[in-house]
Amino acid sequence: MIVDLAIYAGCFLMLVGAAFCLLASVGVLRLPDLLTRMHAASKAGAVGGGLILLAVAVLSFDPAVAVRAIIGVVFILITTPLSAHLLARASYGADYAAKNNIAADEMKSKSGPN
Amino acid sequence: MSAADVLDLTTMIALVMLGLSLLISIVRVVIGPTLADRVLALDLLTVLAMGFVGTVAIRTGLMLYLDIAIALALLGFLATIAFARYILAKNLGKAGKNDR
Amino acid sequence: MRAALLVLTLALIWAAITGSFNPLNLLLGAGLGLVVALLLRQSLQGRINLRRLRAALSLLGLFLWELMVSAVRVSIIVLSPNLKAALNPAIIAFPLTVKSDAEITLLANLITLTPGTLSIDVSEDRSTLYVHVLALTTREDAIADIANGFEAKVRELYA
Repeated sequence: MIVDLAIYAGCFLMLVGAAFCLLASVGVLRLPDLLTRMHAASKAGAVGGGLILLAVAVLSFDPAVAVRAIIGVVFILITTPLSAHLLARASYGADYAAKNNIAADEMKSKSGPN
Repeated sequence: MSAADVLDLTTMIALVMLGLSLLISIVRVVIGPTLADRVLALDLLTVLAMGFVGTVAIRTGLMLYLDIAIALALLGFLATIAFARYILAKNLGKAGKNDR
Repeated sequence: MRAALLVLTLALIWAAITGSFNPLNLLLGAGLGLVVALLLRQSLQGRINLRRLRAALSLLGLFLWELMVSAVRVSIIVLSPNLKAALNPAIIAFPLTVKSDAEITLLANLITLTPGTLSIDVSEDRSTLYVHVLALTTREDAIADIANGFEAKVRELYA
C-alpha cells in the first residue's frame, strides 16, 4: 500500500516536472526578448528538471540512487541562477539584450558590466 | 489499473511532453536572433535532456542512467559558463582598452 | 565541534552513495570526512550556532516556497494569450544594505530564483544590485518585496 502511494506521488511529481519543462520551452519560444526569456528558462526550467530528479529519487526505492538524485537537485538549484546571471551580465554588455521595449532601465547610466 | 500500469503511462506521457519541449527549444536555437538567445536555449536543452534521461531511468529501471543525467547537468553548466565568458571577452575586445 | 558534525554528515552521505551501511564502509567514509575536515580546518572555527542553524532553515523554507510560486507565476505569464499586456519588463537599481561579498552572492542567487526577478549586475562599490523585473507594478513595491523578504533573512543569517 505504502509502495503504491509512493509510486503515485512519484508519478505526480514527474508529470508536474515535465509540465514545467514544457512551459519553460514554450516561454523561451514565445517571450519577446532575451532577458524575459531568461526568466522562463531559469525558473521554470530549474523547477521542472529538479522535480523530475525528485521523482526519480521517490520512484527508485534505493537510498543510494535517492541520495544521488537529491544531490543532483541541489546542484541544479545552485548552478541555474549562476549561469543565468553570468549570461545576463555578459549579454547586457554586448548589447544583445533588447533595451528599447523596456519600461525602465536604471542601469543605462553605467557603461555596461565592468 | 495497477500502480505499475500508472507508472508506465505516466513515464510515457512525460517522455512525450519532454520530447515536445526539446523540439520547441531547438526551434529557438535555430531562429534565435542573437548568440545569447542560442546559448540560453542550449542551456535549457541540457536541463530538458537531463529530465528526459531521468524519466528513461525510471521507465527502464536502469538506475545507471541517473549518473548520465547528473553528468549532463554538470556539462551543461560548464558549457553555459564558457559561452558567457566568450560573449564577455568578445564584448571587451570590441570596447577597446579603456574598459578594464 | 563543527568539524565533528561535518565528519559525521560526510560519513553518512558516503554510506548512502556507496549503498551499504556496514561498519567498515562507514569507517572509510569517516576517514575521508576527516581528511576533508583537516583541509578545511581554517574555516571550521567556532561552535555550532543554533540561532544561525534556525535562520538557515527558515531561509531554505522560504526559498523553496518562493521557487514554486515563481515557477507557477512565470508559467501563467507564458500561457497568457496577450503577452504584451502581461509583461512590463524593467531593470531597477536595488540599494543593498548587506555589505559582505558572501551575503551579496547569496542574495543575488536567491533573487534570480524568486518570482519575476533576475539579478544582472552589482555596481562597482557594492552598494547597488541591478535587478531585471518581469512584470513591474511600481518600483517601490519591487524593492520593498526583496528588502523585507530575502534581504532580511540573509542579514539574520550573517548577523
